[in-house]
Amino acid sequence: MELTVRLAWEACLTTGTGLSKLIEANGLGKIYKRGNEEIIALRDGHLSVSQGEFIVIVGPSGGGKSTLLHLLGGIDRPTQGELHVNGVDLVSATDAALTRFRRDNIGFVFQFYNLLPSLNALDNVILPLLARGLPWKTSRQLGSSMLDQVGLAHRQKHTPGQLSGGEQQRVAIARAMVLEPCMILADEPTGDLDSSSSKSIISLMLDLNQRLGVTFIVATHNLDLLKVAGRAYQLVDGSLNIMSAR
Amino acid sequence: MLALGYFTFRDLLHDRWRSLLTILSLAVVVVGYLLLASLAQAMVILSRQAKVTNNLLILAADTIDPMDSSIDEGVLQIAREIAPSQIQQAFPILFRHLTIDGKLMQVRSVALEEMSNSVALTLVQGDWPDSPRQVVVSEGAAELASWKIGSTVNIYGTDFQVAGLVRAEESAFGSVWMTYKEGLRLFGSSHGFQVGYLSLVPSADPESVRARLLADPRISAAYSVYLEHAFTNSYNQSNSNLLILSGLMVLISLLVVTFGVYNATILSLSERGLEIGLLHVIGFTLNKLRRFLLARTLVLTLIAYSLGWLISLVFINHQRLLDSVDLIFLALKLTPLSSLIGLGLAVIFAFLGVWLASRRLVAQNPLTGND
Repeated sequence: MELTVRLAWEACLTTGTGLSKLIEANGLGKIYKRGNEEIIALRDGHLSVSQGEFIVIVGPSGGGKSTLLHLLGGIDRPTQGELHVNGVDLVSATDAALTRFRRDNIGFVFQFYNLLPSLNALDNVILPLLARGLPWKTSRQLGSSMLDQVGLAHRQKHTPGQLSGGEQQRVAIARAMVLEPCMILADEPTGDLDSSSSKSIISLMLDLNQRLGVTFIVATHNLDLLKVAGRAYQLVDGSLNIMSAR
Repeated sequence: MLALGYFTFRDLLHDRWRSLLTILSLAVVVVGYLLLASLAQAMVILSRQAKVTNNLLILAADTIDPMDSSIDEGVLQIAREIAPSQIQQAFPILFRHLTIDGKLMQVRSVALEEMSNSVALTLVQGDWPDSPRQVVVSEGAAELASWKIGSTVNIYGTDFQVAGLVRAEESAFGSVWMTYKEGLRLFGSSHGFQVGYLSLVPSADPESVRARLLADPRISAAYSVYLEHAFTNSYNQSNSNLLILSGLMVLISLLVVTFGVYNATILSLSERGLEIGLLHVIGFTLNKLRRFLLARTLVLTLIAYSLGWLISLVFINHQRLLDSVDLIFLALKLTPLSSLIGLGLAVIFAFLGVWLASRRLVAQNPLTGND
C-alpha cells in the first residue's frame, strides 16, 4: 500500500532544527481567571520528552493533568513559560497554526472515547486523514490497516453503539494513530473501562509505543500504568514532580 | 466532495429523529412565512387605484356601501335635464350582496347594452350576454367559485349561464353582472335601484357636471354625486386598516423566516457542540467544519422548505376561511417571487446560524470534564 502520509515515526524528530527533544517545556504555567479569582492550574512545569518515550502522569482530580495535556496538545495556550513540541512554538502559534499542529503531530485519546455515533469504526478512524485532505480511497485503505493493527479488522462496519467500551477505545486509539502522529496524548484512557478491557488497552498502547516508536503521554488514575511507564510524574495542585524513571 | 456528501448523509440518517424534528420545525416556519406573504400580497389588491373615467355615480345621500342606497327612477331624468349636452347615457344599476355557491358576491344588474359600452368592464374571455339568462363574472369571482365559461350559476333560485369573464379594474370585488331586466325580475323594485350611472360625453368636465348636479336641490337634498373612480377609491379606503395590516404582515413574514431559520440552526448545532469540538481538536479547520455543517444545514433547509412549500400549497388550494374579507375577494397565491425570497432568506440565515454557531462551538473541546 502506498502511503502518502508520513512513513515512519522517526520523521517526528525535527530533522535539521538542531532539536533533540520532542517536547521542551520550561517554567510552564497556566492560570485561569474566573471573575476576579485566579486559579493556578499549572505552575512552573518543566518537562523534556524524547521521541518514543512512554510517560505517565498521575495525580488527584483537579490537580492539573488535563490542563497539561491541553497545553502539550495545542488545545490551550500557557500563560507562562516556554513550550516547544516537535519544533513548534506553541506559545506564539496562531490559532490556524495550532490546528495544523494538532492535525499533523498529535493523536488524542479520551476517557469517553468521543467517537462520532453516526459513523462506523472505519469512518471514525479516517476522520483525521480527511481533515488532512487525503483522498477518500487512500483514507479508507489506511484506516482499515490501522483498525487491523488494533485488532478490530472484523469490526470496521460497526457503529460505536455496537462496540464494547474496550473496542471503542481501540477505535479511538486507531483514530489517534492513523496519521502517524509524533505523540499520543491520552486522558484517562482506561478510566471508563473494566479491569480486563483496561489491561488490554494498556497492552495495546505499550505495543504501539514499542513496535512503532510513537510517544505516549498518559494522564491517569490507573496504577497499572505506572508499572509500565518509562517515566512517571505526579501533578498535585498544579505542581509537576517526577515520581520514577527507568 | 464525496466525503462531504457521505458524512452528511450518514449524519442525517443516524440522527434521523432529530433531523426530522429540525425539518418539521423549519417547515412550520416556512409555512408561516409563505401564508403570511401570500395573504399580504393578496391584500395589496386593496391599494389598487381605480382607473380614472369620465363617469359619475349617483347614490342616496351619505351612503358609502351601494347596498344601502335606494334611488328613484326620476333622478336620472332630472340629471338629464340639468346637463343634457354633457350626459351621454344615464341608466340605473341594481346592486346586491348575495351568497352564490356559498361565496359572497356582488351582483350588479345593468342594461345589456351598457354592460359592454359604458361600465368600466373589460371582457377577457367569452362573450357578453346575449340572452337574459346569461351573466358575465369577474375574474376574481370565477376563481373564487371555480366558474368557467358555460358554468351554471344559481342566483335566487334561477339558473344563469356564465357567458364571459370580465376584468373590473376599478375594484377588488368578486362580482356577477346580469341584465337589468333580469335583476328587476329577481329582486323587484320596492327598494328602487342602488346606483345611477351617468356616462358623460368625452368633452365634458365631470367635476363641473357634478357641481351643477349638486347645485340642484332636487338632487342635493337626497343624493350624493361621485366621480366614479373617486367613489371606488373611497370605498377601498374604508379598508385602509387592512392595508396597514398587510404591510405589517410582509414585515412579520420576513422576520419569521429570518429568525426562525436562524434559531433552528443555532439550536440544532448547539446540541452537537461536543462533536464539533472533537472534530476541531483532531484537525478539522474551522473552514472544513463549516463546509460540513453548511452542507448538512443546506440539506435540512432545502427539505424543510420544500415540505413547507407543499403544505402551504395544499392549504392555499383548499382553504375557505380567507375566501373573502368584507366582500373583497382575496386570492391567496404562492408566487415564484415570494417563494424565492423565502428560500433565499432561509438559506442565508441558515448559513449565518452555522457561521456564528461554529465560531462559538469550536471553543469547546472534548477534554473538558477531566481535571
